[in-house]
Amino acid sequence: MIASTKIIPDMPPAALPRVLLIEDDAKIAADVAEELSLRGFAVTVAETGTQGLESATIAAFDVMVVDRLLPGLDGLALIEQLRRQGDRTPVLVLSALSAVDDRVGGLKAGGDDYLTKPFAMEELAARLEALLRRPIETRESVLRAGPLVLDLIERSVRRDERAIELLPREFRLLEYLVRRPDRVLTRDMLLEDVWHYRFIPQTNLVDVHIGKLRRKVDAPGETPLIHSIRGAGFMLRTTG
Amino acid sequence: MRRPAPIGGRIFGTGILGTRILGTGIFGTSTFRLSLGSAGFLLAALLLQSALIFWQTTSYQIMRTDLLLAREAALITAQSRPLLDQQLRMRASDDLHLLIAGAGLFDARHHVLNGNLPDYPEGLQPDGPVQQLVVHPTGQGPRIVRAQALRLRNGDILVLARGLRDLEEVRFVVLRALLLCAVPSTLLAVAGGAWLSHRALLRVGIMHRAVDRIMAGDLHERLPAGRERDDLDRLAGSVNRMLDRLEHLLDEIKGVGDDIAHDLRTPLARVRTRLERARNLPPERDRVGEMLDRAIADLDQCFSVITALLRIGEIENGRRRAAFATVELTEIVDDIVDLYEPIAEARQIALLAGRCEPVRVHGDRDLLIELVANLIDNAIKFTPEGGRVEIGARARDGAAVLHVADSGPGIAAAEREAVLGRFYRSDKSRHVPGSGLGLSLVGAIGRLHDARITIADAGSAPGPGCLIEVALPIRHHAIAVP
Repeated sequence: MIASTKIIPDMPPAALPRVLLIEDDAKIAADVAEELSLRGFAVTVAETGTQGLESATIAAFDVMVVDRLLPGLDGLALIEQLRRQGDRTPVLVLSALSAVDDRVGGLKAGGDDYLTKPFAMEELAARLEALLRRPIETRESVLRAGPLVLDLIERSVRRDERAIELLPREFRLLEYLVRRPDRVLTRDMLLEDVWHYRFIPQTNLVDVHIGKLRRKVDAPGETPLIHSIRGAGFMLRTTG
Repeated sequence: MRRPAPIGGRIFGTGILGTRILGTGIFGTSTFRLSLGSAGFLLAALLLQSALIFWQTTSYQIMRTDLLLAREAALITAQSRPLLDQQLRMRASDDLHLLIAGAGLFDARHHVLNGNLPDYPEGLQPDGPVQQLVVHPTGQGPRIVRAQALRLRNGDILVLARGLRDLEEVRFVVLRALLLCAVPSTLLAVAGGAWLSHRALLRVGIMHRAVDRIMAGDLHERLPAGRERDDLDRLAGSVNRMLDRLEHLLDEIKGVGDDIAHDLRTPLARVRTRLERARNLPPERDRVGEMLDRAIADLDQCFSVITALLRIGEIENGRRRAAFATVELTEIVDDIVDLYEPIAEARQIALLAGRCEPVRVHGDRDLLIELVANLIDNAIKFTPEGGRVEIGARARDGAAVLHVADSGPGIAAAEREAVLGRFYRSDKSRHVPGSGLGLSLVGAIGRLHDARITIADAGSAPGPGCLIEVALPIRHHAIAVP
C-alpha cells in the first residue's frame, strides 16, 4: 500500500521527484507517503533523526520533509548538520507547534519552508512543488506567461493586445502567479508570500483577491488563465 | 533528586499534615505559645513592680530613720550628764528597742561607759554621717542598724543606733504580695491561653476539614469566615474570595469546554451524515463530489475553531514578548485596509481609513497585524450590506489608540467584556463562518501588549454599531529598546 521504501539501493526512477520524509509517527508517515506517491513523488521514509541523516547523506534527494521533534536527533539539529555538510537540498519543516518563534527557529536552522500540523495534503504537495521548482527569476524586466506580458518597470500588463489596468496589490499578486505558472498555489502560500502575513484569516480573503484579479485577466470569451483547484488553491494555467 | 509529588499524593499528604497538627494538640498552637509568652511578660512586670515598691519603701524608711536619729541625738546631747545616763539606761531597757536597737556611751578610747552596746561599733566615725552596720546589743543577736556617733563636750562618744526591723517586714509583705499576685496570674494566663488555643484549634480544625473537602472536589465549600473580626476570619475571607474566583474560572472553562464540544459536534455530525450518504449513493461523480466538498468545508470549520483555540492558548502563554520591537501602527492599519478592501467592496461596505496619525508602539508586529485584521474581519462580518467600517489610529492621552467602528448590530453591553475573554463565543457568531473566536484572539493579543480594550456603541444608523478601541502603551523615541 505504501509506495515508499527504506532500502536505499532501490532508488526510484529519476523522473519522479525524490522526497525524503523523516517522521517518527508511523501512521502519519504512512499516510503522507501514500498521498505523496499518488501525487507523483517517490517517497523514502526515515523514522528517526539519525536514520534520516544517514539516508540523506548516502543518497541524493530533491526535497526533504523533516518533523521538528524526532527521537534521537532533533529535526532542527539534523538540518543544521546537513547544512554544515554542504547539503543544500530544500527542506520543509513539519511541526505540531504553531508558534512563530518555532517557525523562525526552523528557518534559521536552514529549513526552507514550514508547515504546522494538522495540514492538508494539498498544502504539503503544493509547498513541496514550490520548493522543487524555484520561481522564475529573470534579469529581464519583462515576464511572460502564456498570453500575459508583465512589464516590471512600467508596472503594466497586457494580455495579447489588450492592456489590463491593475491596482498595485493586484499587480503584485499577478506577478507572483506569473513567476510560478502551472503550479498549485495555496491560499496560505499566497497570503504568506504576497502579503507576508502568517495569520489565518477568518474569511475567504485570498479568494476575493483572486476573484477580482481573475475578472480583469480573464475577460468574457477569453480562455480562462486563472483556475481554482478544488480543495487546494489556485493555478495560472498557461498550457492547454 | 527532588521530584514534584503527583497531585493525588499532594492532596493526601496535606490531609495527613492536617491530622498531625490536630494531633499535637493545644500546646502546639501558636495561640498557646502566644499566651505563654504573655504570661512570662506579665510575671516579669510583676517582679519589676515589686522590686520598685521594695526599693522605694526602703529608701523612705532609711531616710526616716536617719532623720529620727539626728533629732534624737540633738535632744540627748543637749541634756546634762546624769540625765543622759538615765536616758541611756531607759532606752537600753526600753520595750521600744524594736526601734532603738542600741545606745551607748563610750570614752574617747572606745571603752564602754553606759548603755546596751558592749563594744564600740567598728568603723563608725564620730560626728560622721549615719552609717549602716551590724551591732551586737547585750541580750540580743546581731542586728543591722543605722547608727550615728556623736562626740560630747567632755570627749566621750555617744552612739545611737536604730534597727531596720520594719524594713524586713516590708520586704516580707512585698514578697508575699508578689507571690499572692504572681501565682494566680500565671495560672490564669496559662489556663486562658489553653482555652483560647483550644478555641483556635477548633476553628483551625473546622477549616482543615473544609479544605480537605474542597480538595476532594467539593468546590462550593467555603471556610467559616464569620464577620471577619479577627485575623483568622480575615484570612478565611481572603481564601474564600480566592475560591470564588477559582470556582468562577473553572465554571467558565467548563462552559467553554461545553461550548467548544457543541461547536465541534454540530459540523462533525454533518460531516458524518454526508459521508454516509455519499457512500450509499450510486457513484454519480457530481453528487458525491459535491457532498465531499461540503464535508470538507465542515471539517475546515472544525479546524478553524481548534486552530483559533490553540492560537489563543499560545499567545496567552506569553512566550512571545521576545519578538517585541517598535512598530508603526499606522502602517499596519494601511496594509490591512488594503488587504480587506476587496472583501468590503464585494459586500458593498465602505471601508474607510480615517484619522490616521503616525504612532509607534512597542509590540510584536505579526501579532498586531493579527489583532487589526481580526478587528476589521469582525467588523465586516457583522456589518450588513451597504454599511460602513472605519478604522484609524492616533495618539491620545499618552496612548496609541486604534479604533474600529462599524454600522452593524453592535455588541450588547452585557457581552462586551466577555467577548474579549478567553474562548467566548457569542450566539450571534454561530451563524457566520469562521471560528467565532476573533475577538477572543484580539483580547489575548491585547493583554499581551498591556492594551486597554473598550467596546461601545458607535452611534451610527441604522444599527447601534460597534466601536472598539484598543489603547496601546505608546512608544517614545527616548526609551531605549531593551
